[in-house]
Amino acid sequence: MLDAQIPEPAGAPEPAGAARLTARRRAVRRWSFAAPAAALAALVACSIFPAFFAGLFGHGDPRDCDLHLSAEGPAPGHPFGFDVQGCDVWANVVFGARSSIVVGLMATLIAVAIAVALGTWAGFYGGWADQVVSRLTEVFLGFPFLLGAIVVLNSVGQRSPWAVSAVLGVFGWPTMARLVRGSVRSVRGLDYVVAATTMGLSGRRIILRHVLPNALTPVLILATISIGAVIVAESSLTYLGVGLQPPAISWGLQIAAGSRHFQTAPHILIWPSLFLAVTVLAVIMIGEALRTALDPKRAA
Amino acid sequence: MKQPAKLQRAVALAAVAALAASLGACGQSKDDGDKGGGGPSGAAHADTGISVAIQEPDHLTPGNHYSSYEILIAVFSPLTILNDQEELEFLQAESVDSEDAITWTIKLRDGWTFHNGEPVTAQSYVDAWNHTAYGPNAWVNSGQLRNVVGYDQTHPVEGEPTATELAGLKVVDDLTFTVELVGADRQFPFQLSDGQTGLYPMPQAAYEDLDAFDKLPIGNGPFKMAKAWESGQDVVVEAYADYAGPAPTISQINFRTYIDTDTAYTDALAGEVDIAAVAGAKVAIAAQDFGERLHSLDAPGVDFLGFNPADERFSDVRVRQAFSMAIDRAAINEAIYSGAQIPSTSLTASTMPGSPEGVCGKYCEFDPAAAKSLLEEAGGVEGAVEILFPGGWGLEDVFEAYANQLRQNLEIDVTALPATDWAEFTDKIATGDYHINRGRWGALYPSQQDTLHSLYTAAGDGNFATGGYSNPQVDALLAAADAAPTLEDSFEGYRAVQEAILADFPVIPTFGNRYLYVTSDRIADLHSAAGSVRFAYVELAG
Repeated sequence: MLDAQIPEPAGAPEPAGAARLTARRRAVRRWSFAAPAAALAALVACSIFPAFFAGLFGHGDPRDCDLHLSAEGPAPGHPFGFDVQGCDVWANVVFGARSSIVVGLMATLIAVAIAVALGTWAGFYGGWADQVVSRLTEVFLGFPFLLGAIVVLNSVGQRSPWAVSAVLGVFGWPTMARLVRGSVRSVRGLDYVVAATTMGLSGRRIILRHVLPNALTPVLILATISIGAVIVAESSLTYLGVGLQPPAISWGLQIAAGSRHFQTAPHILIWPSLFLAVTVLAVIMIGEALRTALDPKRAA
Repeated sequence: MKQPAKLQRAVALAAVAALAASLGACGQSKDDGDKGGGGPSGAAHADTGISVAIQEPDHLTPGNHYSSYEILIAVFSPLTILNDQEELEFLQAESVDSEDAITWTIKLRDGWTFHNGEPVTAQSYVDAWNHTAYGPNAWVNSGQLRNVVGYDQTHPVEGEPTATELAGLKVVDDLTFTVELVGADRQFPFQLSDGQTGLYPMPQAAYEDLDAFDKLPIGNGPFKMAKAWESGQDVVVEAYADYAGPAPTISQINFRTYIDTDTAYTDALAGEVDIAAVAGAKVAIAAQDFGERLHSLDAPGVDFLGFNPADERFSDVRVRQAFSMAIDRAAINEAIYSGAQIPSTSLTASTMPGSPEGVCGKYCEFDPAAAKSLLEEAGGVEGAVEILFPGGWGLEDVFEAYANQLRQNLEIDVTALPATDWAEFTDKIATGDYHINRGRWGALYPSQQDTLHSLYTAAGDGNFATGGYSNPQVDALLAAADAAPTLEDSFEGYRAVQEAILADFPVIPTFGNRYLYVTSDRIADLHSAAGSVRFAYVELAG
């Protein structure tokens, strides 16, 4: 799926440097892309089939808890040990992948949707539309992301993954909107758009057929990287008690619970933290790899 | 009038809970001498002073405070007090007697003075009580006088007061006054003890400027304020040379204010404060960090779970009993509290005088099989069940454990639901937007009376936490127990009350509380009674 997002840039016009470039890209693929892609693929698999992966070692039920095993270390069938409630840490970490990845993708999708709509509108039409969107963007950027999310989430009654995604998405679009606006503006002046305009095509058609396909690449790269940032934000908010709520199973909740017992049972904190760190690192590395592959200036 | 009353109750309960969380105080004294300029007396203070971590006080007027107990018990002396054998002793009072338990004669000890030299007289008490009980003053501890004749005139539920003084108070002579109660109450001497600060005396000088008094209270206790309290600064009290009660073992207490208990804990670890309270959930870490310097004190508080009375699913008593039997209190105590709390077997704390331990019987014992069949017999519970508790107070682990046990042992969908804060918690209960709620009561004086009246009668301050439970039979039994001719008889009476309440099983009794304190190595022993540290009598090491 992710591979499909890296189309070879059409007509990279550098026949002389092509061999060197291809070799370089291969190296990029081998290490900085393949490794995080494999990690991420495994995590996505976990989030799609959590029951299968959780059950690899033992009963695999994250809610089958026995207080008498509270905070015990690894045991047969329970490679990561037990948390304070006596629940299997491995099963909880595997099930937690779903919340994090769902929130990461949903929030980013929402943010990209808003950013593309507003950014294209502002960039393509300019004038007062541009003024309105730019000012709106500045207002949102001036509002600290985390503070805004805390304030809004505090006033939301039930904080489901969807609500948290929506809030993170609504506060995450401004930077992307600026980027879209910028690249739409640069594309708007290109010959083929001018040609389409003189041919009398409708604005909608020009945007959908000619402008967007050529302006979206940078925002897709940024969006990939921001998935990692959103996952971190979700965990931070959950840790602070304003993100996901029990009975949701999420790494943020596990980290919050584990931090209360770090001194006596560090493994409860370490495993979900490790999974969170690997996920975020993988997503960001893939974003960087995409940028390297798609940005001709960087490749040169 | 209804709304503010309800709000006050909620706040009062919050204050009690906060008190439980923060009762610990830390003392610190290490460089008072240096600060004082290094004179010989300053150096002496440094040797025998302590510092105590507290939360920011709200008011220092005894009749009008929620969260300043630690300071007030140093600056004032109550009429009666519990000793470390948990027996009631007279302190400022020489005797408190009554033939009929309705009219009480209180004789004061001679020779006691306030810190400004003014003698403590019967008038000091009567004036202070009248001031506390007068509705328009809106002093928050006025309810502590509600059983005194005339309270309904000075503090009517609705409308203007028709009297400025309590008709039930009479000064007999300089050192004697009488109190007439609305109903017979053998527990009255317990009500005069340290937790009920609304019954402390005030000097005549206080009324000249009550605002100044609120910052710089003049008390009759072992310590006097070194200077007026300023928000955000340490509150320093020094031994009062002319104190007529038992002389304190320390010369000075620095009450240091902390916004959260974690910071206080860290400071205690670093030796910056001598005494700090610890939240229940931190006990395992505290035991590791402090070893023998972690003190757990039996406290007069109880935890329980209440049910929404409007939720039909819980209307069958067998459902509530099944829930209670499905909770393994011992395992939770071990796993979450490292054994520091006391699994409940009655409705009152086990250390409460005469508490009928075991009166709850099999319904407070863990028996998942019996719980399941009892629930099935009652027709089961459909749909999701949420246990509401205030988030951010370190209660997450214990409530998740309750939910896990109910879910696994009864095979129903139970989750623990944290409210964002205390306000949301009380709001959800007030509007009936909950299934099961967290309940707690910390008794203000060491008698079962306080817990039973507050939680299980319609007029009680904590009644909302028990789903508004009341039962005329229970009310009658309570009145009889209150009027019992002797203390022992009253214990029998309260046992009957608890049996009657438990027949209805309105709540799930969970734990009796212990308050946890950590101390620096300067403290050899905490001198405590009823879960509270008597800071004046802390034993210093070396």
